[in-house]
Amino acid sequence: MHVQEWPFFSSARRGAGIRSFLRVSRQPITAACEVTRPTIALLMDEAAARSVDFAEGVPPGGTFVLNTRRSPEECARHFRLTGRVMTVPGDDIGLRFLKHTIGNISAYMAVATAIGGLDPQTVIDSFLHMLEKRRIPDTIIEANRRALAASVEAIRSGDFEESDPRGHRAAEFGGYGDLPVGAQTVLRLSQKNRTADYAPSGFRLRFEDPALACTGCAHCITNCPEGIIQFSPDAQRGLLVTGVEISTFCKLCGECIQVCPEKLFKEMPYEEVWNEEVVAS
Amino acid sequence: MSMAQELTRPMPHVTTPGGERYDRAIDLERVRAAHRVLYSARETLMADGNTAAAIATLQMWRCVIFAGFPITPSTKYIETVAARIAEDPKGLKRIKLLEAEHAVADYMVGASAACRDLIFPTATSSVGLDHMTETTRSLGASGLGNVLLIDVYRATANFPLCIEGDPSDTLAHRDDGFLQIACRGKQQIYDTMIQAPCLGMHHEVLTPVMPGYYGIKDSHRSARLTVEPDLALHAFQDRWIQPCPLPGLINGDTAFGNCVTSRYFQGFKVAQKHRMERALDLLPQIGADFARTFGRPGLAYFDQTGWRDDDSLDIAVVSMGPDFGTLETAGPAFEKKTGLRVAGIAMRLLTPFPSKAVRRRLAGARVVLVVNQAHHYGRGHLTLDVVDALSELDRPPRVVSAFAGMGGADVSEATWEAMLEGAREAHAGSPTPPYRVYHEGRAL
Repeated sequence: MHVQEWPFFSSARRGAGIRSFLRVSRQPITAACEVTRPTIALLMDEAAARSVDFAEGVPPGGTFVLNTRRSPEECARHFRLTGRVMTVPGDDIGLRFLKHTIGNISAYMAVATAIGGLDPQTVIDSFLHMLEKRRIPDTIIEANRRALAASVEAIRSGDFEESDPRGHRAAEFGGYGDLPVGAQTVLRLSQKNRTADYAPSGFRLRFEDPALACTGCAHCITNCPEGIIQFSPDAQRGLLVTGVEISTFCKLCGECIQVCPEKLFKEMPYEEVWNEEVVAS
Repeated sequence: MSMAQELTRPMPHVTTPGGERYDRAIDLERVRAAHRVLYSARETLMADGNTAAAIATLQMWRCVIFAGFPITPSTKYIETVAARIAEDPKGLKRIKLLEAEHAVADYMVGASAACRDLIFPTATSSVGLDHMTETTRSLGASGLGNVLLIDVYRATANFPLCIEGDPSDTLAHRDDGFLQIACRGKQQIYDTMIQAPCLGMHHEVLTPVMPGYYGIKDSHRSARLTVEPDLALHAFQDRWIQPCPLPGLINGDTAFGNCVTSRYFQGFKVAQKHRMERALDLLPQIGADFARTFGRPGLAYFDQTGWRDDDSLDIAVVSMGPDFGTLETAGPAFEKKTGLRVAGIAMRLLTPFPSKAVRRRLAGARVVLVVNQAHHYGRGHLTLDVVDALSELDRPPRVVSAFAGMGGADVSEATWEAMLEGAREAHAGSPTPPYRVYHEGRAL
């Protein structure tokens, strides 16, 4: 069997969201382009799905694997998936056996199960053999063995038909148009370069000002590297902040949180915003 | 004799106008005997491109010192080398991380000139290569064929900065005086690293080599890799690499900083060109020897796909790098859809450009589609070379120039189809612009 795998990432460093591709074939693989019509899509980080359609390009009847503690039913409904949905609480398993929220171990098991035709014990042995070759200490190898075994038990699966009106089709490339010269905010060479994907996992920015405490100082506006603070000019008070468009470009750098004298910006655990339809605050 | 006595013992040497030359200062047999075998038998593993290159250089007994400076996307090369060397603290091999890229180049000059029978590898990318430029140009002329400068292609220093791979950095350095060989795929990267010094250090070539592969698309993509046993690799290299006197300035010495008259300069460049052109003859011979020895394709001017016995065809494609692999799947589908015959070549030897071989291969095509991935203000680096190669034909094919994948952008099957459609228009006799830029299945 031949495989080809690679990550696709931007200049962002640790903590950034990435997309990765895997081809599996009985024949030598020559194609080198990105996989745009995947048979299987894996979502490693639920938070990333706020700004990226992880199911993009998967035809109806495909397989969706999610690293989540939610059920396949919940996920199918939430992400409008038609096909086979498999879930595994990888972060929880990682935390339990490896002391970190490393969902990779469980995702590896789940994807191998989704591909099919592979004996689970062989899949586990292959992984552990790779660790042994890297001279990983025995205690860690044993912890991985237990995490892999627990993952096999924790995989849940079901077939669903929750079609998305858009059919998870990729947006058609519309050309670059006129590129204005200036700050990074407007010089986006690709619609795919959504910097919100670089935000730390599990958190989202929230702006709340029920008491209209914003002083109009505009520190947040001038410090935001992405230029996504929404505001309204006020003759007496200055530039009053009305919200933040976080769905695409907020990478949760925290500049606004630090500079706001009224503490109107804060990080919210992703769990609290999972069900929001509109990603803005 | 103690080590101290050995070090202070007068060493036989030759006095030259450029300084003293110590021909036997390094005991090559002792260096060879100290090599720690990495693989004693053929093995198959999963590796990305940087790892494949690192393994190959670690397996060479002549590679003892690795100078480096980390820069994306080549960093993993030096990391892998460092990690493997750290596993054997008593070994002979050493890694030297220097404070800047130009320092790496300076170091390579000194070390490679001092130890002409050893191989000095480093890996760099884009800005790193640019910082090395002044020294690498001197290196190119020096006759120090024992320099192996691995370029992990990344869009060259430009605005806006981009860390993904297109070959604009290597093509911006076409005239540095290096032999430039492009690779695609992990196996070809590994195999090329083994063969490249055989070409550069051949006594009739003595020219540093710059093998390269696409950053991210090949450096960070993992696939199957077959590694050969160290001893087999050594035997292969030893057939091609032998100690020999250097060409170069002043009595066979490599002397940087010497200022000469224009007359001498011109004469020197003529000799340098001749040495480089000799590589055109030797490269296929080394490739054939490699194929006989290891059973895989060796060095060649270019890879080929879709060619049949009859050389006449409708569209010939000239490209390079891993995206050519996508043509290998998209091309047959286009043939089926249009009834046109399509074949392609992926360039491997970039400098010197193998014009004769390219001309022979493309002569029977009606249209030649050249796909450039490096930014160029004209029709493209590759296009200019191909047009030049075809210019001696009585009835040269029509050349259609395309750009795709600049900055390492994805070149999808739809993009290949769109480019082939552009070539089909030319095949039908329609006028075509000097070049078109393609992305995600459309001309921009």
